[in-house]
This record gives sequence, C-alpha cells and structure tokens, in this order.
Amino acid sequence: MNRRLVEVENLKKYYPVTAGLLSRHVADVRAVDGVSFNIMEKETLGLVGESGCGKSSLGRAILRLEEPTAGRVLYKGNDITTWGRRQLKELRKEAQMIFQDPQSSLDPKMTIGDSIGEVLLIHGIGTEQERLEKVTELLQRVGLEPEHTMRYPHELSGGQKQRVGIARALVVNPKLVVADEPVSALDVSVQAQILNLIMDLQHEFGLAYLFITHDLAVIGHVSDRIAVMYLGQIIELANRKQLFSHPLHPYTEALLSAVSVPDPHQKRKRTSLPGEVPSPVEPPPGCRFHTRCPKVMEICRQESPVLRPRTGGRLVSCHLYG
Amino acid sequence: MMRQTSRKVGGKRNLIFIGTLLVLGLIVLLDIYLVDRILEPMGYFYLFFVAVAVLYGVYPLHANRRLTRYYWERTKRHRLSVLGLAFIILLVAVALIGPLLTQDPTRVNFDEKNVPPVGFTIQQSVYDLDTDKFLVREIPGTYQHPLGTDDKGRDLLAMLVSGARVSLQVGLLATLIAILIGTIMGVVSAYFGGWVDQVLMRFTDIMMTFPFFILLVFIIFIFGPSLVFIILVIGLTGWTGAARLVRSEALSLRTREFVMASRSLGASDARIVFRHLIPNVLSSVIVIATLSIPGVILAEAALSFIGLGDPTVTSWGMILNAGQRSLDTAWWVAVEPGILLFLTVLAFNFLGDGIRDAFDPRSQL
Repeated sequence: MNRRLVEVENLKKYYPVTAGLLSRHVADVRAVDGVSFNIMEKETLGLVGESGCGKSSLGRAILRLEEPTAGRVLYKGNDITTWGRRQLKELRKEAQMIFQDPQSSLDPKMTIGDSIGEVLLIHGIGTEQERLEKVTELLQRVGLEPEHTMRYPHELSGGQKQRVGIARALVVNPKLVVADEPVSALDVSVQAQILNLIMDLQHEFGLAYLFITHDLAVIGHVSDRIAVMYLGQIIELANRKQLFSHPLHPYTEALLSAVSVPDPHQKRKRTSLPGEVPSPVEPPPGCRFHTRCPKVMEICRQESPVLRPRTGGRLVSCHLYG
Repeated sequence: MMRQTSRKVGGKRNLIFIGTLLVLGLIVLLDIYLVDRILEPMGYFYLFFVAVAVLYGVYPLHANRRLTRYYWERTKRHRLSVLGLAFIILLVAVALIGPLLTQDPTRVNFDEKNVPPVGFTIQQSVYDLDTDKFLVREIPGTYQHPLGTDDKGRDLLAMLVSGARVSLQVGLLATLIAILIGTIMGVVSAYFGGWVDQVLMRFTDIMMTFPFFILLVFIIFIFGPSLVFIILVIGLTGWTGAARLVRSEALSLRTREFVMASRSLGASDARIVFRHLIPNVLSSVIVIATLSIPGVILAEAALSFIGLGDPTVTSWGMILNAGQRSLDTAWWVAVEPGILLFLTVLAFNFLGDGIRDAFDPRSQL
C-alpha cells in the first residue's frame, strides 16, 4: 500500500463578495466548502464536476496558489497552510501544476527554453550548461525537438505548447502534479496523445496526479480513483471501476448517463437533471443537490448528508444510503 | 545556446543598471556637496539615457534578432512611419554633429540683420546719414546664411540646429523619465492590486489634476530657468497617462495563466513583475513613449515661446517667439522653426502609429 502524499482536511475557499464604496463584505462565494480527501503516492486522483463547482479553486488551494480560507493541507504529513515564503518555494519543487490553456500559460515574450529553464533558475539548480541539457532532455522526452528551445510560443501548435507546459512542470522532478483540465483546450485528436504522454510520464517519474476535468471519458481513462464534486463539496469518491459500474450518488448517476458511448444502437437510460446549478453564494439548505435530485426525500431539504464510507472503501454523501 | 547566455546576461543587466544608477547618484551628490561641476547637469541625463537605451533598448533588440526583424518588417509596411523614422534619424544626426559645423548661434551681428534665406530678396528702408534720407535697399539672401538671420543678425541655420538639439533632449529625456515612472507605477499597481493599487492610482489622479504649469513657474522662480528643471518637471509630472495605460494592460496580463504558472514554479513577485509583466507591456510602452514625445517637444516650445524657457539655450520655441515680433519684416524667422516643429511632431506621430500597428497582432498588415 502506498503512503499518503497529500491529506486535505475540511478545506474551504471562499471568495468575498463586496459592495459599495467602502467594499463592504456582503457575502461569500463558497467555491470550496469543506472538502476532505487523500492523494496517495503515485496514484491518479480524478476530480470531476461541472464548471463552476470549485474544482479549479480546490486544485489551486492545495498548492497554495490561492490562500485557503480554512482547513488544512498536509503534504507528507506537514501542514503547508502555515508555511511561509521560503518553505513554499521548497514546496514548488515537490508539487507542480499543468494548466488548462497552453496558449496563455506560456509567457509570449519568452522562448520555450527560457520558460522551462526559468524553473531551474529560480531554484538555483545546476550550472547554465546543466540546465540547458536538462531542458533539452526533457523536451525530447515530451516529444519535442531540441531546436524548440529557441522557439517562441506563438510558433508552436496547441498540442506542442501543452507538451512544453508538461515539461515545465516536470523539470524539477516533482512528486505531485495538479493537472487542471490539461486537455480540454486541445483538439480531440491531440487529446489522446497528451493523455498518453501524461500517463507514461507518471510511471517514469513516479508522479501522483490530481487530475481535474469536467470530461468523464477523459477521467475514466486516466484515474485510479475518482472524486465527484458538486457545488464546492465532494459528494462521491470511489475507485474507477466502482464508480463507472455502480454509481451510488444520484448526481454521479446523472453525470455518467450523459457520457457519450461510441455505439448509436445501445439503449441507455438517460437521467437528465432539471434546473440550473444553484448559486455558490447561497447554497441550498440541507443536501446541496436536493433542488435537482430525482430521488429527493424530505430529509434532504433539512439535513445535509455527510461523506461516509460504504462497502469497498468508497465514500458517498447521500441520505439514500442511511 | 545563445539564448541561454542571454538569460544569464539578463540577470547581470539589471545589476549593471542599478550599479550605473548608484554611481551616477554618487557623482551627483559629490557634485552638489563637495566638488563643483564635475559634469554639466545635462551630462548626467545623457549618461542615464545612454545606460537605459543600451541595456534595455539596443541589447534586447540584438539578442532577439529574429523578433526584431519581424517587427521591423511589419513597421516597414507603414510607409509614413519609415519616412518619420528617416526624418528623426536625420534630426538626431543634425543635433549631434550639426553644432560643430555651423556658426555660433548666439553671435550677434547688426550689420547682417534680417537677411532673408537664399533665393529670397527683401526691400528694406535704410536711413542714410550722408543724404539724411531713407533709402530703399535690396537685401538678397546669401550662402553665408542659407536660412537667413534674425533681427539681431544671428544665423538662423545655427539657431535651428541648436534648437533641434534642445527639442530632442527635452523630448527624449523627459519622456524617458515619465515612461520609467509610469511603467513601474502601472505594473506594480496592477500586479499587487488591493490597497497598493488604490494608493498608487489615487496618487496618479492627484498628479493628473496637479497644475504642472504652476509648478514649473514656481520652480523657475526659485531656481531660475534651466533646461534641466524643465526636463525634470515635464518628466516627473507627465507619467500619469502612461501609468494608467500600462496598468490596464498589466491587469489583463495578470489574469493570464502564465503569471499563475510562474507563481506555481516558485517565482518571486519581483521576478514576475520584471521578467514577465514588464517585457509583455514593453511594446505598448514603446508606442506610448513615441506618441508622447511630440507633446513634450511642443510643451518645451510653448514654454520658451512665452519666455519661461532656458535663456541660455536656443530652442525652437525661443526662435518662434523672436520671430513673431518681426513677422512683418522677417517672416522666415518664425516660419522656419514652425515648419521644423511641425515636421518633427508629425514624424514622431507617424513612427508611433507604425510601431503601434506593428506590435498589435490584430492589425491586418
């Protein structure tokens, strides 16, 4: 059994809503509202949910790219939410991020070589020559040519740019990589290549991924375990097989029924959800999903369910299961 | 390999710049408190200007030759901007070497007053002592004074060449000061946001409404009229527009993922501001600078015109002022600096337009 790399405990990220001349604090956008889970070493934890459910905020808060409002994040047993500037810089060597939009995640005024080499420069790793060698080596590993070090981002295709983004994340040999929708800005034909690259690199570098996406097909392809998020909370967490074959939470069920299957004749039961996702400023009382849940009960309107373990080590937060 | 070297030099470059600033500051202090006049005040400005131009202008252009050539190709498609650039280069050459070749612009000679430019002849009534009558005499333009002389017999060509030097000095140096302050204010304000943004932008608002003219009159009253103070005042008050434009540019850059990416790589705030944000706003800064030079040149000319300029230097505004008093007898004295001023302002505007289009990826060139 692998050790726990990251333990997230009751993490909250609120964005204040202000109004008026004096910027009075009137409300909070509860992007992440009390989330707990672990990421094991060398595993891929998929995080799936609709847009706006707080999955990106969660990813950023775990790396402290945004300050969590409350809760703890333990990295190898140490609480990083209390870390200062210097310790955080050390964390940056251990935990990296791959961004969604390869177009805007590279500085347009920097060559590819400089963009990747900058990480080594920041952390003072190696001599100039060694840095260059490392950058070239990594570029080749992600499927680019050494000549690309001299190129500017606008001279590369979207897929190539994302390869650069991956190389940049891996150049310091991190243990954890948060991949925030790494393929959703790419053409479908390129998506598969990048996904395979990401998975190959995981074995090669011994990485743990937090893989954030809204695309269930993608997440089913890469993840070991999957966490489903709705309105700032995790409502179900199970390993891939369990989740896809036998979803417990009605929301997960609805999500899965929306995945397109490459067989037009297959008969499927579609569960479509009525209404819109409620506002994260004023989440509904009780279970947050009760406004759209097809199996809503009276208790759902009053009491919010807790994420509790079920058979097979899976977690679900729903009143249907007691 | 080449780029990797340049990155290393990039770090050294800032050190060199700070070093130069320190040395300059030290000499200025020495100059004020211990030794008298190590350098003329303008000398410090020149050193500063050259240091900035080489470290942040010439060097990066050379290091990124491919990018430079690309932008040049795009600027070239704008005919008028090439013309403007040619005129500016000519003007700079004239301002640099011209004073060595022309006569002393301050030498007064009443025997040769109001000589018209070559190709023109004017009639002048002269009082003849022998006959005790007014005679009408024809004065032709001579090659000794190709552009004529003014009512004190000063050579206009020499005066205009000297004026070109003054105008460019004021235009370039004051703009440089304004742009440096404006860029740093704008980027810092946008990047840090919150109360930093509030404080800096309210300060900008105050500076914007501050009557720079009164400040100038005040300073001239205290310290006496000097080109150095004029440059300083125009530079230190003229950065507000640049600060706002740079801020809005930097605000949109800040939300781009590469800034977040740099932070996730462990980059410090200083690195993000100086390595990522400033290089990315630089293209707009160059455009703002080019387009604000003519305004500064005009401001100096206006000051000289109303007599608040430095009386020890011959500037275009001063010649204009002298010329408007003798407009009925010697029209060329006012017209010549007027035309030059007009062409210079136009040239900078054309060049600025060309550069703006070249830097704007949306423009269809």
